[in-house]
Amino acid sequence: MNYVPKEIPEGINVTHRHPLVNFAYLLGTVVIVSGLIFIVLGFVASYLATRISPETEEKIGQMLIHIVSEEEIEDDQRISYLDELLNSLPEPAEKIRLPLKVHLLKSEEINAAIMPGGHVLIHTALLETVKSENELALILAHELGHFQARDPLKGLGRSLVLMVVSAVLGISTSKSGGISEIVSFTSGLAELSYSRKQERAADLYGLAKIINRYEHGGYSLDFFRRLAEEEVRVLKLSKYFLTHPLSEERIKKLSIAAQERQWKMNGDFTPLPEWLLCPDMEECEKL
Amino acid sequence: MDVLLQILIFLVLLTLGYLMGSYFEKRHYKSIRQREQQTRHIPLVTFGAKQHLPETDDAQLFVGSVVISIDYFKRISAALRNLVGGRITVYESLLDRGRREAMLRMKEQGIAWGATQILNVRLETATIGGRSGNNNGLGSIEVIAYGTGVRS
Repeated sequence: MNYVPKEIPEGINVTHRHPLVNFAYLLGTVVIVSGLIFIVLGFVASYLATRISPETEEKIGQMLIHIVSEEEIEDDQRISYLDELLNSLPEPAEKIRLPLKVHLLKSEEINAAIMPGGHVLIHTALLETVKSENELALILAHELGHFQARDPLKGLGRSLVLMVVSAVLGISTSKSGGISEIVSFTSGLAELSYSRKQERAADLYGLAKIINRYEHGGYSLDFFRRLAEEEVRVLKLSKYFLTHPLSEERIKKLSIAAQERQWKMNGDFTPLPEWLLCPDMEECEKL
Repeated sequence: MDVLLQILIFLVLLTLGYLMGSYFEKRHYKSIRQREQQTRHIPLVTFGAKQHLPETDDAQLFVGSVVISIDYFKRISAALRNLVGGRITVYESLLDRGRREAMLRMKEQGIAWGATQILNVRLETATIGGRSGNNNGLGSIEVIAYGTGVRS
């Protein structure tokens, strides 16, 4: 028997599909599905968060507050001042489901935050930056707005959902390579737009309380204005990844809202107590 | 900024993986086709294990083995495919290249020795890295082809 070589066939064991088309299809599916899962479960978590009783919330808050208790400054007259200012903001008829507690933290970062259970965290750097009581009151009212909307509880619920989902999919482990990055990036983006919505609502709530307390909104936006000047230097692209809206945008939105509601946006300056920067009174005596 | 940097690194790796990966694959396929044409006068057959071999003067074992690594782009594609299921087309070409290259290496050794045909050809595949341990950076396959070359 003679062997006659035949033409060699090509591509029998390879599917003819362009790898980029294949990749685009896969990426699209995974991004859309994980985005949908996250949005749906996020809404479920937010809904459940609104049904948590104040007692449970208090317990959650007590557990979480331990995280920051190390940097906390206690027995300071600034705390009672902040407490007083915060509690003067809601209208008498407004229902606050838990007593609010101000925590003063020693930190170089200009920040204020709210935690479940009505714990308002104020960084010392923030107190050094604010120039008037109007500004400080707007920041406190903003945090109060988050508390009233149960945003910290919702945020907690949503991050729990994300953790559970990634644990179930096994994407939190290092074995899956870049997939955890893709999924967490998608959910991160979904979360950002959600958190910006919350920030806008809290801003609006805050300004309403300021109008109520001082009968005008003058000077209260100055803090954001100073922030806006800082932000000009920040890279343009990175604004898509900020949890808070840009300060300039916040000022614009608030001004429009104030115009619509015919709020008075100028008025008297309410100074901060002189001792705010020198709680021990020693430095002030030197001045 | 951290997120941006991560995405940037990811995209750079992905592009690099795709460009280099497809360049090497194209070049490899070109070489495979050319060498297959050059060596197709020697038959490779799978019988011989329980059949009578043809009468020959001389016989020898020839082993051709090749190790090929996946690129970053293939890895991400396959990992995405793992979530939704279906054919991992990016790995099909990888294995196809491995099998053909291993057989060619075996055949070329045989031709150099003077084989007139290679009998009882077998193929085996092994994964190197990837599966064992936590090291997911390494994912490659080894394909071994072996057969009995005869000359008369």
